[in-house]
Amino acid sequence: MKHLKHPFTQAVLLIVGSWAFFKFVIPLFPGSAPVPQSVVLQFTLIAAVGVLVYVSENEERWTQFKAPITATLVDANKKWLRGGLLTVIPLFIGFVVFQAARPTVGSTAQLRSIHPAPPGQITFQGRSLALEGLENPLRSRGSLEEHYETGKAIYYQNCMPCHGDLLDGQGHFGHGFNPTPLAFDRAGTIDNLQESFVFWRIAKGGPGLPREGTPWNSAMPVWEDFLTEDEIWAVTMFLYEQSGLEPRTWGEEGEEHD
Amino acid sequence: MTNHGRLQVAACRLSAASTILLAFVAGLPGVLRAQDLENGKALYDKWCAGCHGMTGQGDGPAADYMLPRPRDFTFAIYQIRTTSNGELPTDDDLRYIVDNGMPGSTMPGWKDKLGPGDRDDVVAYIKSFSRFFEDGQPEPVAVARAPRVTDEGLAEGRRLFEEEVECIKCHGAEGRGDGGSAPELTDDDGFPIRAANLTENWTFNGGGSVEDILMRIRVGVDGTPMPSNGDAIDAGIITEEQLWRVAQYVRSLSPDAPPRRQDVVRAAFVEGDLPNGPEDPAWNDVEALYIPMVGQILEAPRWFAPAVDGLWVRALHNGEGMALQFSWDDASASPDEAWDPFFDGVVTSMVAPDAPHLEAQGPDHLAVQFPLTPPEGTVLPYFLAGDARNPVYQIRWRSNPDMAEEGTATGLGTFASGTGSDLTHGAAFANGRWQVQFTRSLTASDPGVAASFTPGESMPMAFYVADGTNAEDDVRGAVSAWYAVYLDVPLPPRVFIAPVVATLLTAGLGLVVVIQAQRRST
Amino acid sequence: MRRILAVPVLLSVACGGGGESGGESSGGGGGEAAVAALGTASIMGVVNFSGMAPANPAIDMAEEAECAAKYADGPTDPVVVVADGKLANVFVRITSGLPAGPYPMPSSPSVIDQDGCLYTPRVVGVMVGQDLEIQNSDPLLHNIKAVPTANRGFNISQPRVMSSTRSFNTAEVMVPLECSVHGWMQAYVGVVEHPYFAVSGADGAFTISGLPAGTYTLEAWHETLGTQTMDVTVEDGGSASAEFSFGS
Repeated sequence: MKHLKHPFTQAVLLIVGSWAFFKFVIPLFPGSAPVPQSVVLQFTLIAAVGVLVYVSENEERWTQFKAPITATLVDANKKWLRGGLLTVIPLFIGFVVFQAARPTVGSTAQLRSIHPAPPGQITFQGRSLALEGLENPLRSRGSLEEHYETGKAIYYQNCMPCHGDLLDGQGHFGHGFNPTPLAFDRAGTIDNLQESFVFWRIAKGGPGLPREGTPWNSAMPVWEDFLTEDEIWAVTMFLYEQSGLEPRTWGEEGEEHD
Repeated sequence: MTNHGRLQVAACRLSAASTILLAFVAGLPGVLRAQDLENGKALYDKWCAGCHGMTGQGDGPAADYMLPRPRDFTFAIYQIRTTSNGELPTDDDLRYIVDNGMPGSTMPGWKDKLGPGDRDDVVAYIKSFSRFFEDGQPEPVAVARAPRVTDEGLAEGRRLFEEEVECIKCHGAEGRGDGGSAPELTDDDGFPIRAANLTENWTFNGGGSVEDILMRIRVGVDGTPMPSNGDAIDAGIITEEQLWRVAQYVRSLSPDAPPRRQDVVRAAFVEGDLPNGPEDPAWNDVEALYIPMVGQILEAPRWFAPAVDGLWVRALHNGEGMALQFSWDDASASPDEAWDPFFDGVVTSMVAPDAPHLEAQGPDHLAVQFPLTPPEGTVLPYFLAGDARNPVYQIRWRSNPDMAEEGTATGLGTFASGTGSDLTHGAAFANGRWQVQFTRSLTASDPGVAASFTPGESMPMAFYVADGTNAEDDVRGAVSAWYAVYLDVPLPPRVFIAPVVATLLTAGLGLVVVIQAQRRST
Repeated sequence: MRRILAVPVLLSVACGGGGESGGESSGGGGGEAAVAALGTASIMGVVNFSGMAPANPAIDMAEEAECAAKYADGPTDPVVVVADGKLANVFVRITSGLPAGPYPMPSSPSVIDQDGCLYTPRVVGVMVGQDLEIQNSDPLLHNIKAVPTANRGFNISQPRVMSSTRSFNTAEVMVPLECSVHGWMQAYVGVVEHPYFAVSGADGAFTISGLPAGTYTLEAWHETLGTQTMDVTVEDGGSASAEFSFGS
């Protein structure tokens, strides 16, 4: 307990603790990702400066804090510890420099623009089709159940190998592509989109992504080569029905797709 | 009904009623609840009927797009059981497949999608497709405990595999599904079926553990040609311990863990000569990268059931030239007359949505491609044979006649052959495996036809494989995403000098601090 | 609540179904006391074949030298076996005219052998519940696989000379037997509710005996030549003749 009250121990614990927090705890927050190494180091450095300001602010604390450091540097009975640190720290620095200097095998960058901005209108099978304000025409025509069954057959014959029975993007071919196929089984996927956006992505596939959507290694085929307009609308409807998600409508306000 | 029968029924109802009562008393109706057919049907219609069909006959809209095809539930013949050959599966057997799916097939596992009660209900509904389930449920087969794995045990397992149980008749000498009887195998519905490739236990339908394998050998895989060895045990021809030895040997044919996906093939630098053929022992010391291969279902004519599911790639270079070695499992060197029945089975059972099927077996194909010019920034050519703006350089090989050529492409089906380097190749087929080597100089003689490679840089690389016996050709086959090959460079001197300098500087600084502090304190 | 209410209904189905089908299958004879012969009449028949018998396809047995060595002229698949105008391997059974059961169970099992990588006999009949003994006389691996629709199938590995026994609990004509190791091997089992069936021999002859007096419909089945039926009347202690004629 005595050690815990010592300013030196406290300072070391605080710095190590904040490093561990940035490195391991922050990624656990919902919606966050692992923090890059450089950012972790930067934050830890800031935390260390804060800790130093704290310990040096009071003269007595500062003396207490310095005591073990000075002892390690000076005391005759700490000769071995001193020698050890003088060996280990330079070797560690050397190792870090070696790691940094060594050429690494880098793979080609795989970025992905998840929701590229759609064009206002597209050429679908040779004719012009305005996407702006476009609704799924099947929702106001014929039997919804029939459209669902049509869409289901199309999905199982064409889409399921990649996007999966579970709509989780893990069909039996999904693992072969990079980036991996999109999932539709959770919030934050197609429920952010109008049906016309989904229509556009199906019709034009990876090759039809805008230039700013590159690098477009998307393996999504150009479905206008295989399916009719009604078939694409039917499979769009199937996606929403099967996943239980609601498409965004044109009336809704919302932030731009990024 | 006899008195005895009535008594049985009464006892059955009584015990069931008390079970339910007990469940209520314990406050756990969810644990011992009855299966709900209506809920099972709703879930089945929504999630299962796309493949297995509304009436359970394995004829959903996707059925023609799959090989092996979806199970027909109306016959109640199930591959993965713990019950004797020919018997019905237990509810646990069915539930195991619903939960975990069938690796190596298109059946996914549902345990992350549906709750446990829902999955029970689906099992109940699936059983309702066949009257056989009215007769009650058989008991699982009891198996003795496994003996410890030993070298002698594995050798014994191998002997049994080859000579006594004769697994090699279908599975082949090294287990790649290339045995003499393999080309004519069909399932109970007459559809072609492959003998399992025993070197890829992560694709075993019922699981890849020794215990899983033992059970398949012990009770058979109903609906397929795989028989049960139960009668041979009863007849004293083989012991259960020997079956364990076979199972352990079969397990040893696969790696300890399934291959992990990695992005970069490292071509190590070697002094002097590159390997002079795909079977050169020099390759044995080179680490291989596993590339998962999947169907070309992007451009017409699409192919939904590729035979090759993975490719192993090795690379070496010597500063002047580079060698790439590929190996993949393929039961036949196509075209092979013996495999005509299999080819016929594939073209009659698989749908041909975009173009008629091939009329006869063609050769096997392999292609590797690179961007013709190193990519600028992050823009790569379209992974499927490039695009108009970004052409690819391809090296293509076919099995019959055995030849390799190089050239460029700007999209699927646009390959233009040419000569842009001193490309040579070698190919060898043995025991259900192709091994192919391409060798060429790093620098292209014609940069309009071939790409050049620079040590110390990554070059994107993608693959294509096709099996002629499986009705595949140079567009109907298996594709990969982009990967990369990195040509190692001998480490430059600065890599070693900088750390030494840094170490010495730090040590010196430390010494100065210590000396200063000691001076001050005295 | 809906789920819980469904429980008793389902259970009564499961329990009741089990009891009833148990009672039915015991009528097949398995555990019951032996039933005496129903009568003393018999039908002695012959199956003729007119015209040129189609040539049977040759079998490539190169993979199994031990089997191939047994055929001096090279192995063929005995699909249509004709000698002196008589057709073998025709399965003949009574399809109507019999009194209600139970029927006497044949005293010995039916036997089918795997010899020289072919089935002998190629066509065999069993009564529901009667044992079918499956022998392997070849010193090599066969798997014997039954692919029925009304019965449960089986697929037995017989790696060496050995024998297995199976039976069927539902009438089914015919149950195909095949060997996955040797794709050419093919046999058929006729499963009948009663013991009044026979298979024509190499001389085309068949005999059905132990019948009560009456008029019966006979059906003759051949794997490629189809089926034929005829009516036959027999007297107590008497013997009627029946003649089927197949042709190419």
